Amino acid sequence: MSIAAEARPVPTADWVTIEDLYRNPFPIYQKMRAEAPVHWVPAVNRYMVTSFEACHIIEQDQEIYSANETGSLMKRAMGHSMLRKDDPEHDVERKSYGGVLRPRAIKETWNAIFQENSDKYLAQLKAAGPGADFIWEYAAPYAAENLRRIIGFENATQEDLQRWSQTMIDGTGNYADDPEVWAKAEKSSAEVDAAIDEMLPRLRQHPNATLLSGLADMKIPLESIRANLKMTIGGGLNEPRDVLGVAVWALLSNPDQLAQVLAQPARFTDVFDEAIRWVAPIGMYPRQVTRDTVLEGMALPEGARLGVVLGAANRDPKQFEDPETFNINREKKPHLAFGGGIHYCAGAWVAKASVAAIALPQVFDQLPNLRLDPEHPAVDAGWVFRGMVKFPVLWDQK
Amino acid sequence: MAKISFHHGDGSTDVLEVEPGTSVMRAAVTNGVSGIVGECGGQAMCATCHVYVRQEYLDALPPVGDDEDEMLDCTVDERTDRSRLGCQVKVGDGLEAIEVDVPESQV
Repeated sequence: MSIAAEARPVPTADWVTIEDLYRNPFPIYQKMRAEAPVHWVPAVNRYMVTSFEACHIIEQDQEIYSANETGSLMKRAMGHSMLRKDDPEHDVERKSYGGVLRPRAIKETWNAIFQENSDKYLAQLKAAGPGADFIWEYAAPYAAENLRRIIGFENATQEDLQRWSQTMIDGTGNYADDPEVWAKAEKSSAEVDAAIDEMLPRLRQHPNATLLSGLADMKIPLESIRANLKMTIGGGLNEPRDVLGVAVWALLSNPDQLAQVLAQPARFTDVFDEAIRWVAPIGMYPRQVTRDTVLEGMALPEGARLGVVLGAANRDPKQFEDPETFNINREKKPHLAFGGGIHYCAGAWVAKASVAAIALPQVFDQLPNLRLDPEHPAVDAGWVFRGMVKFPVLWDQK
Repeated sequence: MAKISFHHGDGSTDVLEVEPGTSVMRAAVTNGVSGIVGECGGQAMCATCHVYVRQEYLDALPPVGDDEDEMLDCTVDERTDRSRLGCQVKVGDGLEAIEVDVPESQV
């Protein structure tokens, strides 16, 4: 008897649309998870995996669930980065990042720069005055400038990084094959290549603590350096921006929890953890099945393209009690927002330092009575990537 | 085969027989031992496979590496002289058995 014969057939979720997912994927995930851990979703042209258990199994097994997807849009938009490779190829490139994103370097070099950037963009937000947009006046430039400094793009601005990140991410998600989206992604990709080519010889002459400087002397093909840095631009900007936005929005929407945190600022770490569990900034990523297999009782054929839906796994009632609720006091349990296994987010410590330790406490300290604007409601959106797209805030001016 | 014993705070113990070369983290994760998370898959990146190695086995272990040392400063439960990352401790090759205490929290 074949293994597939023992398994349940995978149901088709033809009722799922991309528009609904973009607006609010969570009721859709609730319905899917209750029915089966895996669905075939025609609108997305993938199997979507929505249970915590199944997503966790995939992350721990790169032999059956390969990151090296055929026809990957990310490869087209950014080149073939380590995020779409398996070991041993992945491991060499992962190690090429060295200690730049790890806690020791953060303490020695990056924290001071994060603080400088937070001061700068908080001043910009204050200058814009109450009613200003928290994302576009603060969170986005803050995350972009932090990333620019860490990578070492002395020849670019934080605005360049924001544009590069968004246009290449749009390419990665260009399922509609819109030529205009590809044109913008290609233009950004070429600009990043040029910026890297200019910086590498400069940094060989004058090495520093940046990622580019570390890579300058590595025996890694230029093609890989370029692809990995594009992945890092995509993954290192929108995600800290989005977790920062969602965390502030969640606190402003839950005044009792906000009061608790303000009385005990050490709890901003819990705010961060709960915000990325509640709304994982990267909601879905792809994997491809290398041979016929059974995943949590569901038959999957060789070659099947999967969407590992972290946004759904993080709200699985089998893993989290009352999962739809933002609750910083919930029982501490592992979540999958940073991914898991060999592709565990390389920027996790940077995110924790810049968002939980620096930005969140400073924002609430310096913007008295920070609150939502009842006249102009905040808007959260997205499913592959999710965050605040519009977030006007009010505060009391001193 | 080598033997790994995981002692839990509630007094229970999980005992595993594993292939030589297996890390304490991998053994725990593949056999569903509670209290060991191992989020990053063993690259000394996440500090969620923290264990306290029992005194009598400490001398048999290789020294704490740079990355491991850095991560041990980031554990949720307090770092002690017995703290190691489970992903960096492999059984076999002179370490045929090991006993560890599992911390109360990893996340």
